[in-house]
Amino acid sequence: MLLPYVLVGAALFVLGLVGFVTRRNLIVMFLCTELMFQGIIVNLVAFGRYPLRGEPTLDGQIFSMFLLVVAASEAALGLALVVLLYRNKGTLDANAWTTLKDATA
Amino acid sequence: MMLADADNQLSALLLSMPLWPLLGSVLVGVFLATGKLKALSDKAVVGGVGVSALLGVITFFSLMPDTSHDDGHADASSAIRLVADGPVEEPSGHSPKASNGHADASRTHTLFHWISLGLDDQGATRWIDVNYYIDGLTGIMLVVVTVISLLVVIYSTGYMRDHHGHPEVGYERFFAFLGLFVFSMLMLVLAGNFVLLYLGWEAVGLCSYLLIGFYYQKPEAAAAAKKAFLVNRIGDLGFALGIFALYLFLSPVVGPGENPLDYAVAFKYADTLNTMELGGVAAPTLVSLLLLCGALGKSAQFPLYVWLPDAMEGPSPVSALIHAATMVTAGVYMVARCAPIFIQSEVALFVVMVIGLIGAVLAATMAMAQYDMKRILAYSTMSQLAFMFVALGAKAPQAAIFHLYTHAFFKALLFLSAGSVMHAMGNVIDVRLFSGLRRVLPHTYRLMLIGCLALAGFPLLAGFWSKDEIVSTVMHHSPVAGWILLFTAFLTAYYTFRMFFLCFNGEQRFPKEAGDHPHEMPGVMLAPKYLLAIGAVLAGYIGVSFHVSSTAFLGALEPHGMYHGYIENSTIINESHHSGPWLMYLSAAVALAGIGLAWARYGAAPRTEPDQALLGPIWNLWNAKYYVDELFDRVLVRPLRGLGRLFVTTDNNVVDGLITFCAAVPRGIGAALQLTQRGVLQGYALGAVVGVTLLLLFWKWIEPAL
Amino acid sequence: MSGSALILSAAVLLGAVGVYLAMPGSRLSLGRAALVLLLGAGAIMVGSVTRMLEANQQVWFALFAALGLWGAVRVVTHRRPVYSALYFILVVVAVTGMLVMMHAEFLAAAVLTIYAGAILVTYVFVIMLAQQGGDSAYDAHAREPLWGCLTGFLLLAVIANSLMEPATGSAAGAIELPASAAGTVQNVGISLLTTYVVGIELTGVLLLAAMVGAIAIARRRAGEDTAGEVD
Repeated sequence: MLLPYVLVGAALFVLGLVGFVTRRNLIVMFLCTELMFQGIIVNLVAFGRYPLRGEPTLDGQIFSMFLLVVAASEAALGLALVVLLYRNKGTLDANAWTTLKDATA
Repeated sequence: MMLADADNQLSALLLSMPLWPLLGSVLVGVFLATGKLKALSDKAVVGGVGVSALLGVITFFSLMPDTSHDDGHADASSAIRLVADGPVEEPSGHSPKASNGHADASRTHTLFHWISLGLDDQGATRWIDVNYYIDGLTGIMLVVVTVISLLVVIYSTGYMRDHHGHPEVGYERFFAFLGLFVFSMLMLVLAGNFVLLYLGWEAVGLCSYLLIGFYYQKPEAAAAAKKAFLVNRIGDLGFALGIFALYLFLSPVVGPGENPLDYAVAFKYADTLNTMELGGVAAPTLVSLLLLCGALGKSAQFPLYVWLPDAMEGPSPVSALIHAATMVTAGVYMVARCAPIFIQSEVALFVVMVIGLIGAVLAATMAMAQYDMKRILAYSTMSQLAFMFVALGAKAPQAAIFHLYTHAFFKALLFLSAGSVMHAMGNVIDVRLFSGLRRVLPHTYRLMLIGCLALAGFPLLAGFWSKDEIVSTVMHHSPVAGWILLFTAFLTAYYTFRMFFLCFNGEQRFPKEAGDHPHEMPGVMLAPKYLLAIGAVLAGYIGVSFHVSSTAFLGALEPHGMYHGYIENSTIINESHHSGPWLMYLSAAVALAGIGLAWARYGAAPRTEPDQALLGPIWNLWNAKYYVDELFDRVLVRPLRGLGRLFVTTDNNVVDGLITFCAAVPRGIGAALQLTQRGVLQGYALGAVVGVTLLLLFWKWIEPAL
Repeated sequence: MSGSALILSAAVLLGAVGVYLAMPGSRLSLGRAALVLLLGAGAIMVGSVTRMLEANQQVWFALFAALGLWGAVRVVTHRRPVYSALYFILVVVAVTGMLVMMHAEFLAAAVLTIYAGAILVTYVFVIMLAQQGGDSAYDAHAREPLWGCLTGFLLLAVIANSLMEPATGSAAGAIELPASAAGTVQNVGISLLTTYVVGIELTGVLLLAAMVGAIAIARRRAGEDTAGEVD
């Protein structure tokens, strides 16, 4: 019973990952991280409902709630930063921000 | 017994003696070199040297044997009696035993332990101490060093100024170096062991280097300083090896807790060296010859003399103090001090004498064909030091030290007078460019005359007594050497007065650098010279005893005066013989003949060189200094320079290449890896994903398979 | 490797190719092939796992899984951000359905409310704020889609294969849900306010800090938006 849910969760996570890596729009990249959160929520709840050992518990759900809070905070801060970045360069292209690179190279 | 009585005060005085000039030097270096206090720098050093000069004289007299007990005369007369009895060559076993009885520990004053050498075979700790070894030899060196240093330092306060009386650039540096030099020289003289001696030895070498190169903006001065330092390195290498060899040989022999490098210990066991050898060479010969290497470098003897003429690039007071009166005599002092070791080896003594003879003749002939006043004096210094070496080789160290002592006075006087001439002539020193200075520089004329007469061995002046002492003892030891020395003495008188007449006789003529009115120097520079002149006249009488005799007037003055009583009280072997008054007449005659011949040929200060016309190619050879510098350049300097270039090339290309390669590898790796750092956020995320994937793959398939 | 693992791997491979082809700016631009491949992959995957469930859940699960995966693919591949955001709502709804199937009713409601109601609205606002100029070049071209897809789906294949291990496979049996573990408001509320009370307090602090931070970052008066000023 565990496996289908976990597999779907993993697929959602990986799709989010692929999106994060390949999309260039900062907002879409952020959206993809939310997608990864969805996969993780499914995962957590599935493991709580169908544990490998012992009785089912509520822990997965509780943990997911905290995750929701973190996701909300992250969305607020992250989007604020995106807006700031957009104001600075006038673009949402992730490739425009390569200042992590050594300036001399 | 005076020693025992005065021991406490004496050691306290001695303890502080070298520190005063050092204190002056440090004061100048640390506090006075900047700001308005600069003007005090000369006073600090004069004060320091003055205190040590006072202490030196006090020490000298406190070491004086009590002549009322007739010790000195007894020794001296017994020596004369030995001559009268006739045995010339004594068995070498006799004298060291007899004289080494003096080399007891009471002469050693230990200040503190310095370096631990660990436990010796008997389980006692062996120490290198900071200690002084005090005897008559030390005393006479102390007087020479401190008194002449004081006079030269006072002279320098006037000399190191420009025509307006303002201190030269580097005035305070000069005095700091001089103070340091006096300290080093005193340490050299007072040292009670070979390690401390070596320390002083190298320190005076350093000061010599610094002072020759005082005008370091002048390329010649810088090159001369470098040359002096490098040539001395050769000798000092031998010296160091000699000390090592001495330690090696004596280490198994000495008693518990005794350090074989202490003079007292080394001399006590010196005769045990006779039973040892290394590689087929007898131990005393090996040690003596290696020690001699150091002496040859420091005292500018053949073949390591080439630095001394060039060292005249330094200021004249430096030439007077370091390169005539004190430092260059350190080699003579060292050999005299180590006489108990040298006496063990006839070979070494023979080598010392032969080197001395070669040096004496070589230097005298070279001096005959030079024009640079200070270089003539430098060659004469070398020649006189060679005299001392001959005396050392003839087992008469006391004669050598006696000459060292008198020579210091008149040679310092000559150099300071040459400095005065140079000062008046606008730094021109070539005797061809001026003449007839007698009326212009009357004081210098008189002083120079006294100095030249003393150097030439004019009867009754200081140089006469000591030179006669050397010639007569050497004549007794080896007549051939004695006659060579007499001939050299003739040459000495000749070239000295050649220089003197060229300078002061003839028509009055100045170089244009001298300006309109060449003038005599101020009193602060004349006074020390007059004091030195008094020394040049009277210093010899310390070695002369007056007794009225039935012979002629000169015969009434016998050598072996109180000086001998003094010095024989020392460690020195005592094999002094006098050949009687006939030799004294002969050497006086030789000196007068040399002066007379010089008068005949150069009395009118001719513009042309009569000797060149007469001697032709030989004179040219002398003028070119036997082409020794050129020979050294071809044989040593150029091959070494080529080797140096080879090393530089190797270093630049091979060694540095290796290092560069080692540095290039990480740089290349970094450059390659840098391509992955594109600054794109998603690239880094992708990298993280790849890492996680690889880890999972590893755990799932690769690790179980292992 | 078991048969089901092989089938799953094939599905993952198909999905990878499909996503690659569906990426914006793909040179091949075979949208239709991508569609076919993705549908095939989804069908294989969903079909192969749905059979493990109880009969009464199979239909619902297949529906939600298909909806969720389809929505996710469209979020990743759609070249217009607003549509990505809207497809994300579809994913949230599908996930919510699966949560309900696992008796996490309260969490489901919370997720739906917070994501669809709050977070996604913010996203849409920001998109409207930042992207008034219509379609952008950087939305039309994916960045290194080949490497991204390859790595991502390789990871998925590894995870899927790991999940097919007997240890996880044996947990496939039905587990009776005790009443205390049902995600009712009562149970969740008790758990949050007893066992996890410290966490809930800290979460409140976190939210407050995030709010203050977001205001501090984004606050900008008119005429002050010069480059380089971050705070």
